[in-house]
Amino acid sequence: MHRERSESQERILAALRSSRADYTEIRLETRSTTRIVYQGRRLETVDVILDQGGIVRSLVRSGGWGVSTFNSLDDLERRVDQAYQSARLVQAEPIALASVAFTEDEVRASLLTDYRQTPLAQKKELIASYNDILLSYGKIVDTQSAYADSFVTVTYANTEGAFIIEERPMVSVHLIATAREGNNIQRAADGLAVPAGYEQVSGHEEAAHHVAQRAVTLLAAETVVGGVYPVICDPTLAGVFVHEAFGHLSEADFVYANPEAQEMMVFGRRFGRDLLTIVDDGTLPGLRGTHRYDDEGTPMRRNALVREGILVGRLHSRETAAKMGEAVTGNARAETYRFAPLVRMTNTFIEPRQASFEELISDIKLGVYACDSMGGQTALENFSFSAGYGYMIRDGRIAEMVKDVILSGNLFTTLQNIDAIGNDLTFSKLGMCGKGQGSGLPVSTGAPHIRIQGVVMGGR
Amino acid sequence: MDILTTLRTQAEQAEVFTFEGESTLVSFEANEMKSAEVEETQGTALRCVLNGRLGFTAASGRVPVARLIENLLASAQYGDQVPIVFPAPAPGAKVVTYDPSLAGIPLAHLVEIGREIIGRILEVDAKAKVNVDIERSVGSSRLRNSAGAETDEQGSEFSVEISVERVRGDDVLIVDEAVNDISLTTAYQEAVQRLVHRIKLARRSAKLVSGRMSVLFSPAGSMVLALPLILATNGKNVQRGISPLSGKLGQKVFDAKLTLWDDPTVQGRPESSRFDDEGVPCRRNALIAGGVCESFVYDLKTAALMSTQSTGNGARGLFSAPSPSVTNLLWEHGKTPLADILAEVKHGLWVEEVLGLGQGNAISGAFSNTLGLAYVIEQGEIVGRIKDVSIAGNIYEHLREVGAMSRESYWVNGDIQMPYILLPELNVVCQDS
Repeated sequence: MHRERSESQERILAALRSSRADYTEIRLETRSTTRIVYQGRRLETVDVILDQGGIVRSLVRSGGWGVSTFNSLDDLERRVDQAYQSARLVQAEPIALASVAFTEDEVRASLLTDYRQTPLAQKKELIASYNDILLSYGKIVDTQSAYADSFVTVTYANTEGAFIIEERPMVSVHLIATAREGNNIQRAADGLAVPAGYEQVSGHEEAAHHVAQRAVTLLAAETVVGGVYPVICDPTLAGVFVHEAFGHLSEADFVYANPEAQEMMVFGRRFGRDLLTIVDDGTLPGLRGTHRYDDEGTPMRRNALVREGILVGRLHSRETAAKMGEAVTGNARAETYRFAPLVRMTNTFIEPRQASFEELISDIKLGVYACDSMGGQTALENFSFSAGYGYMIRDGRIAEMVKDVILSGNLFTTLQNIDAIGNDLTFSKLGMCGKGQGSGLPVSTGAPHIRIQGVVMGGR
Repeated sequence: MDILTTLRTQAEQAEVFTFEGESTLVSFEANEMKSAEVEETQGTALRCVLNGRLGFTAASGRVPVARLIENLLASAQYGDQVPIVFPAPAPGAKVVTYDPSLAGIPLAHLVEIGREIIGRILEVDAKAKVNVDIERSVGSSRLRNSAGAETDEQGSEFSVEISVERVRGDDVLIVDEAVNDISLTTAYQEAVQRLVHRIKLARRSAKLVSGRMSVLFSPAGSMVLALPLILATNGKNVQRGISPLSGKLGQKVFDAKLTLWDDPTVQGRPESSRFDDEGVPCRRNALIAGGVCESFVYDLKTAALMSTQSTGNGARGLFSAPSPSVTNLLWEHGKTPLADILAEVKHGLWVEEVLGLGQGNAISGAFSNTLGLAYVIEQGEIVGRIKDVSIAGNIYEHLREVGAMSRESYWVNGDIQMPYILLPELNVVCQDS
């Protein structure tokens, strides 16, 4: 595919030609972000931020990786040399890159309603209307209602023939309501952030009511009693769980240089019961982790990680694929021009089975229904996740709301303890992954309702 | 034309903040050197007050001045109505924040340090996988405003982050340390010693039954107690009415042993500063003194909204407007040696590293965390590592009576100085019970 090249594209190609390294890539970004944030009655932020920068990454076989990142795009050839000089300083084992059939391509955003044409005043009115709904509840003492849109243009080129221009749109609304009675402070949140147009952020009045109502209801909720319970996770929490607790282990940069970790993550090993299938798929339309190419120019694809309980796949960059003698998967991703790509997930989900919600819950005598996610952390085998809220399950029925629902446990036993999976696969419209880089890379997580036996829950 | 001069003609008050920085990073992955990286940053942030409304914009790289000003005025059209007054010139805090020799240290020296760290850990455990990031950075920020303040802050930072992974079958141990300084120092050697100590203690495993028991927090583990206090003393949360400490100034809320300082004047710390990011002189403030809620940290805007003065705690990234933030947090240490505190624990838990810090409803003081690394204490001695264990509680209950605080303390993540803290009774849940 050859087309007219702009002057800036010619400059990128000229800079690549000047490189003395064995491999060089250049990624340039321009980003324009609009943010409007209410805190309580106060319009806290209305601003437009302009960010531009780039990264050059070079590989020298007798050395290693050299990286140069910068804001000024003036002298690309100097950056190319800087990356090369850095790469020469490294003394590493020789690094190989798996081969990829690179292409030249342009991925333009097509937005139904282009938010770049929407007046600031209209965006402000929209987020103000959601904020007013939150504040209409008496016990809500504080809110954070945020609108944001960003439009990023990424130009990627490497010395093996890739030249890709991709537009990455994102529009978002986040609503947080804080309810308070004396020292009792409770918070509920919802939102969406999607690679789409302005039409996606309007019409969420009902969600705003739910957020406020939930924060108020949580004031009367008791902290869950600590113990070991059967737990039903809603799709949001189950999706975050599969990303955090399992997904990160299937990133090949965790295992490729660690023989003991490879043994732990050996293909064919059973991770769950027959009903458990876990997939990462960067090609699903409209989701946050979807792109035609990753940040090394490798096409994204569907990658099964666990099929019917058995480990069958993992996620790769070109380097980890070459090192382990496996195929590339299109999972080298970078948050911004400040970061070299790392092995990252895209859209990770648990495949649905047949169980209805009623079937999942009916034979639980005493358990917890854990909903929504307020964050989590894993140290590989150990994990800790906060649900946004939850309910006790008593005699097969949803009972009273409980708060401070935090699930802990060991990954291996917990995956084995997933003993029922629902039929209602839902993808989150939020999702940030904070692995090793800045504030978060857009990802999507998905799952149906799932049931886990024997979950440790800290509590009173 | 100079941006500030231009803005003065268009707005009641104006401020220009510029930042330039350069850093060099060498990274080791799985015991091998992996990459070397050079990072250059430059950017500009503007604020103005127009018709009583505060506007903000920012840009990196070179953006035409006219475009920046257009974005600023658009922001000010809707901005917050706040009686903010940009500060006039004043003398800054007396603290050294910059070591010019840092920029001249050859990269080869940083590589040597990385190899030294990895070598010392592998001596203790040959199958450990060690990741190390060593970074040296220098940066300068310049602030000018329409009240005549003009501050130039130069800073340098040498930082070392070490993470050790040890996989044995399905048994995984991950331990981390991060240290920093404004100069090249040997603080990383102390971090290595702490890591080695943890690796050795984690070798033996121990059993524990769920229940309420004494819990001894290491400085890294005690972050779970410090974090809700950082949130509660932040003036922004006070102004928003969501801090449990709002309205409690002058009241005794915690154990008399608890004293907490925000101190931007500690020599040699990268978070120390002469002026904050709004040109206000920095100073040392007691947040909690003898268990009494003493003060909150404010920037100009939240101070104006609360009809008080900025405490010199305005902090910002390149792309965000200033907001209040603690600088160096010092949790005052106690008088008892750690060994004596440990000796008194008949049966309990030692919390070394906590997972999920800050997740959940942290501002309410509630915490519930899985422990990344914890040991069982029997008859005053650590008997081994316990896995799959979590703790839960609320600091507003548990810090009313602290069992003991150690004489020893160290810097956690470079900007929080913590002692070892003993809580007499906390709920501990284990999986196998």
